[in-house]
Amino acid sequence: MPIIKAEHLKYRYPNTEKLALNDISLEIEKGEFIGIAGRNGAGKSSLGQAINGLVPRFYNGAYGGRVEVNGRVVEETPVEEMCEFVGLIFQNPFNQLSGAAETVFNEVAYGLQNLGTEPEIILSRVEQVLKRLDIWQYRDRNPFELSGGQMQRVAIASILCMEPDIIILDEPTSQLDPQGTEEVFRVVDDLTETGITIIMIEQKLEKLAHYADRIILMSEGRVIDFDTPEKIFSRDDLSEYGIKAPAFTRICREYGLSLPDGTYPVKLEDTKRLFQEKNIRPLKEAETGSCLLNSKADDTEELFRMDNVDFYYTEGTPIFQKLSLTLNNRPTAIIGQNGAGKTTLVRLLKGLLKPVGGSIYFKNDDISKKTVAMLADKVGYVFQNPDDQIFKYNVLDETMFGPLNIGMSEEKAKEEALKALELMGLKGRENVNPYDLELYERKMTAIASVVAMDTDVIILDEPTIAQDYEGRKLIGDMIRHLSSEGKLVIAILHDMDFVEENFERVIVMAHGRILSEGSAEKVFSEDEVLSEAKLQKPYITALRELLGA
Amino acid sequence: MSALSLYVDKGSFLNKLHPYTKLLYVFAAILIPLIGGRLLIFPLTILFSLILLLTGRVFRRALPLVAFSFTLIIVIFLIQGLFYHKNENPLFNIRILTFYREGVIYAAGIALNILNMLLSFAVFVLTTAPQDLVEEMEKNGFSPKFGYVINSVFQIVPQMMKTRDTIVDAQRSRGMETEGSLFTRIRAFLPLISPVVMSALINTRERAIALEVRGFGRRNKRSYITDRKKSSADIVISIILAALILAVSVWRILSCLS
Repeated sequence: MPIIKAEHLKYRYPNTEKLALNDISLEIEKGEFIGIAGRNGAGKSSLGQAINGLVPRFYNGAYGGRVEVNGRVVEETPVEEMCEFVGLIFQNPFNQLSGAAETVFNEVAYGLQNLGTEPEIILSRVEQVLKRLDIWQYRDRNPFELSGGQMQRVAIASILCMEPDIIILDEPTSQLDPQGTEEVFRVVDDLTETGITIIMIEQKLEKLAHYADRIILMSEGRVIDFDTPEKIFSRDDLSEYGIKAPAFTRICREYGLSLPDGTYPVKLEDTKRLFQEKNIRPLKEAETGSCLLNSKADDTEELFRMDNVDFYYTEGTPIFQKLSLTLNNRPTAIIGQNGAGKTTLVRLLKGLLKPVGGSIYFKNDDISKKTVAMLADKVGYVFQNPDDQIFKYNVLDETMFGPLNIGMSEEKAKEEALKALELMGLKGRENVNPYDLELYERKMTAIASVVAMDTDVIILDEPTIAQDYEGRKLIGDMIRHLSSEGKLVIAILHDMDFVEENFERVIVMAHGRILSEGSAEKVFSEDEVLSEAKLQKPYITALRELLGA
Repeated sequence: MSALSLYVDKGSFLNKLHPYTKLLYVFAAILIPLIGGRLLIFPLTILFSLILLLTGRVFRRALPLVAFSFTLIIVIFLIQGLFYHKNENPLFNIRILTFYREGVIYAAGIALNILNMLLSFAVFVLTTAPQDLVEEMEKNGFSPKFGYVINSVFQIVPQMMKTRDTIVDAQRSRGMETEGSLFTRIRAFLPLISPVVMSALINTRERAIALEVRGFGRRNKRSYITDRKKSSADIVISIILAALILAVSVWRILSCLS
């Protein structure tokens, strides 16, 4: 008997016209690992939440059809009862903390306390789960003071100790750095052994393909296909659904290396085996198309120069000591773990922070003496969280706010804003209230609102968070476009494949130092540097090296 | 520890006492001098609170509270010493200002009362985790939903204050002046406050989901993992405090009758 059974499920959120879920019928067996893939807005999260009852019981809205989980009809079961069977983990680790517990231990115990479980059972289960997820050593820490990866593991522990039969993971790593992502996937790896049914929504398709028994491909609220990862990712029409096959599938397809059933492999091991069997070596740069096109960037014009910069937040714990760096207008990615000093570095460039020692020059002007507002028309900075800046009632006004602040005329500001919105794929959305947009669209709005200021430099802090393949492509195109206009784009990134495909220069940071810098090809070939910075290679590079290319 | 709570765990005997015992102490320390009706009792309770603060190693943390109350106390001495309506006998002069005995005594009563309340509260607040008190209250029938609201204030508000700093930077980065004339500051208000409120609302919705999937709002009785049984020290202290309140009351009634 299937543990989850949906029959003609239809659902529409309140005050919307489009069906978020459109006639979905499927069956999932106990212990299966199911992946859900599709572009942003395809209905993946809604489907996940229809399994634990948040749809329709939390959101209300119009609901049709029937979903049965563990023999219970979801529509008729309160969420607080469903939570005994179905656990949900979502993107933002911070918002998943209950806010009622002062320690990690109490945070994890919180759900069981609500269920009224016996104290002795709670104590032993929490201990067991904390140890299993390797966070036992943080048990007395305040959960709000942990790193994103640690927080997310606390969130998983909080659900796991309630011992649900099904766990839904909704992009659990999208807001984490590479190490945090690894930590979480290691836990997921462990979960697959337990016999719990797992439903995972994820944009990192290489990972999803690696774990999943079957993949649900969704688009516009419908299930397009529900099959093995190999079959799903070998479809010819994937781009229609806004996704890009995993790196291994793409490279095998390019070399025509298919499995006996005609599909292409999705896993590293299968790919490696096929290449070795056929004795083929992939060519360098064969597949990614990584070379930057039309960039006017050259090595001559120096924009920023940092000379022996010292910086600290609290005296005695230096962040930078005698840091020197020059930046010209090659698009530049800064990579490294959280806490490596990436954000501090770009904040110094933006003038939000002032160096304690040394100087920073922008076009030979010492910026240490300038205010942030004085630099606003030269250096643009897009913050990580769009909600930190959005306040206008429509997208166009929001986008015009910066340009008007730096003294552009109303007309010019509007022209620049429209241009920027088009660049970020928001044409036609000018009059929408930004708060009615999804997170990924708000992020695009925030980027557009800075691009519209027409600055010489644009700094992006983790622009690819919450973006699907199409969103990432849009951001990649934007970087190329700005670069071709002679602007310097600097981005902090955790997505190594995106870095390899879109940046000419890569700076690797760890512990407040620049470990290495140069072309993506150079940096990603330096194994020692990467391991010191705790970074991983892009999939394709890793594969090529594995095959000895 | 969150910025909003004054509590620090020093592992002292005060930390180990049951929250209710400490509450009873606050109650007794405030009531005893009031019932006793003599100014001379105040220094006793104040001294006792000070000793507790010192031995509980939280005296330093109580100082800002005391310092703050001193501004208030000085104002009371000025106003009552100079203008108390029963003022008759001059006590001393500072230049042209004459302070009266009646006013100064009256002010001393108020000042001692304030100091007494403040210090006894400090004994409680500086040595008791708000969560512990809330949990004890929940065990005695206080609504867990209200309990959650109180607890979350201590955790979530400090996080919101951190967000505010980021928002200021984000708007400055878009060329908005946040410093300068009053007009500039007023103009900067909306771009700063809207994101604070909106992101708080967005977070709240997500947190509501997170709570929901962890059984918040279930009707069954919550279970508690910390069993804060009253120790024998708690019981002895509670009996002594109750006896003292009773003794002072009896003494006061008797002295009124005689």
